[in-house]
Amino acid sequence: MEDPLHPFELHTIVPLSLFGLDVSINKAVIMMFVVVGLVILLLTKARSSGSLVPTKLQSMAELLVEFIRGMIHDTMGPEGMRFFPLIATLFLFILFCNLLGLMPGAYTVTSQLVVTGVFALGVYVLSILVGLKIHGMKFLSILVPSGTPGWLLPLMVPIEIISQLARPVSLSVRLFANMTAGHVILGVLFGLAISGGLLIGWLPFSFTVALYGLEVGIAFIQAYIFTILTCVYMGDAFHLH
Amino acid sequence: MPSSPDPVFAGLGQAVQIGTNLLATLMVGGGVGWSIDSYVLPTQPWGLVGGLVLGLIAGIRNAYRTAQRLS
Repeated sequence: MEDPLHPFELHTIVPLSLFGLDVSINKAVIMMFVVVGLVILLLTKARSSGSLVPTKLQSMAELLVEFIRGMIHDTMGPEGMRFFPLIATLFLFILFCNLLGLMPGAYTVTSQLVVTGVFALGVYVLSILVGLKIHGMKFLSILVPSGTPGWLLPLMVPIEIISQLARPVSLSVRLFANMTAGHVILGVLFGLAISGGLLIGWLPFSFTVALYGLEVGIAFIQAYIFTILTCVYMGDAFHLH
Repeated sequence: MPSSPDPVFAGLGQAVQIGTNLLATLMVGGGVGWSIDSYVLPTQPWGLVGGLVLGLIAGIRNAYRTAQRLS
């Protein structure tokens, strides 16, 4: 049987280099272009009609905006609406990457730790910068949990630093691991179905079909979790406990 | 984490957090301890050991906090 991690390998299609940096086009880059293009196309089409009685696409877009706005209001409060474009872009990009990656022959961009890592690190650094801008040096009090006795400080501050540093790690690893593991399981089960033949192959094949449905759900849930945790981290920067 | 419009999603989002957070704090704690060992101080195994212990405490504390918010 084929190596189950084989589909995650990337091969250069168009070699390019910019100032000595390798910016070659590969399957993941093409997928990202497709995702961005599709999101822009869908949303401009939803916007174009602009009628009072919304079309199907328009009401879906309105539902989406309401959903993201509710998420931001719950976690950051009304002042967080400044970050609506960022949050909405993140959510749509990750969601479409996850969903389009489920198409046979496509590539799941979010199964690369580089991609999710850059998102998580960017969001985390931004939340720290926002906190420092709003609260100044008082922002460092996030490292001291409220109600800590003085003699515990040498222990609590390193623990808080570690749990702060763990935020981008867990954010990126969660998305990457979920997508990779799901696709590996699908690949292995489908490989079993093919090598099993008609006699026994129907059993792993039916598992593949069931798991595929689960993967669609996971694509939504992981995109949602990534964005809501982004909102929560941003909210922590807004409101010191 | 406050409640989101969809209660099923919100609960799931919080529950899924616990497992990865445990792993991530352990990784970060061990990593920080190991780098102190190798580049800053000549405290060979103890930086790594201390870092892992701190990471474990941080992870369990985070899990406890999340679980408390859930109930």
